[in-house]
Amino acid sequence: MSVAADPRSEELARLLARVGLADRAAFAALYQRTSAQLLGVVLRIQRDRALAEDVLQEVFVNIWRAAGSFDPVRSQPMTWLASVARNRAIDSLRRRETQPVFESTSRGFGPDGDEVDLLDHVPSDIPGPQDQLGLMAQARAVKRCLGGLSGEQQQCIALAFYQGLSHAEVATHLRQPLGSVKSWVRRGLLSLKTCLQRSAAMEF
Amino acid sequence: MDYGRPALAERLAAEYVLGTLRGRARQRFETLMGAHPALRLAVLAWYERLMPLTALVKPVQPRPATWQRVQQRLFNHRAPVPTPRPVAWWRRLALWQGAAAFATVAAVSLAVLLAQPGAQPPPIVIVLSANPEAAALAQASFVASVSGDGRSLVLKPLQIGSLGAGRVLELWAVPGRGAPRSLGLVSASGTTRVLRARLLADTAAFAVSLEPAGGSPTGAPTGPIVSVGKLEI
Repeated sequence: MSVAADPRSEELARLLARVGLADRAAFAALYQRTSAQLLGVVLRIQRDRALAEDVLQEVFVNIWRAAGSFDPVRSQPMTWLASVARNRAIDSLRRRETQPVFESTSRGFGPDGDEVDLLDHVPSDIPGPQDQLGLMAQARAVKRCLGGLSGEQQQCIALAFYQGLSHAEVATHLRQPLGSVKSWVRRGLLSLKTCLQRSAAMEF
Repeated sequence: MDYGRPALAERLAAEYVLGTLRGRARQRFETLMGAHPALRLAVLAWYERLMPLTALVKPVQPRPATWQRVQQRLFNHRAPVPTPRPVAWWRRLALWQGAAAFATVAAVSLAVLLAQPGAQPPPIVIVLSANPEAAALAQASFVASVSGDGRSLVLKPLQIGSLGAGRVLELWAVPGRGAPRSLGLVSASGTTRVLRARLLADTAAFAVSLEPAGGSPTGAPTGPIVSVGKLEI
């Protein structure tokens, strides 16, 4: 998958490298630059604000300890940071055994659905505050490929990713059989992969 | 279902990253990742595909207290932490002083230093014996060799039994008073090397605890201590 060099991404990689060498000033700069985006990511999964702030603490403790092993050749900084945030947020659900709270009242894949709003949001070409982290171009590509999936596949994947729901929770939310949900997720992910491989190939 | 193993691995990697892989299956998968580079590569590829979607999430400014707490945890700032804690295991170390199972060896150090002030201080060797109380969970014992200047530690396993799914060992420097300091994760096989400015300052013992994958999520030991070696000075 081609990864275009982005100045914001390179700056983050530099900061991470210095954090890996125990540079506290770089760590403070990294926190300033990324903590808000990462808290947003955590809150999608861990809705309780106080618990989410606890998770964010753990995320940055993890980042401090593991930054030395981040390999900028293999991965983009924000990809890695977001993955730490999501993993810790998912773990916090298991530990607290919270029930997911559905803020969206949408029962289907309609235009008023929370998850649909996110997918329909068209990022502008001018990098705004949301592109602090250099991922917007790739986000567009993934969004495009998600748009090529069936409605059910998009819905299930969006619920799983953006709301942090398990298969069973998605099935309950959509009032669909568990087997159908698993199948939609599986096929949706496969189609997504193929689509992204195709669009990456076309960049050459 | 006629999935061959690569297809299954690919599906699990995708669902791990998506977040639908949960509970014990998720923990098992994390353990498997530790042992299989091919799985890690598959997971990395899925991270690259899906994580860009997080760019579409609205940022939320964290409370100022959160940054304070991060610094406290990592850099031991003296601000008081209000949450009450049960008696931590390291405060119970004194109870083990009489236990025959916890033999400790410390090569002559301070006496030699005092006798020959100009000499290069010899390394200090500490045996971290297995904690019999933790035997059901993990068996592990080590030898630690700390350089005389207290700046480097080499930890070699004498014995490491199976740790259980999704678990790693973490090394701690335990002071006489106060919370243990993490020295990082213990290498799964072979030697662990730790470099610090002052490993021996304010250190009464070295200990190894059993933690979830990635190490303690809290900055303090969360799992049982599997081995301890006290410094005798």
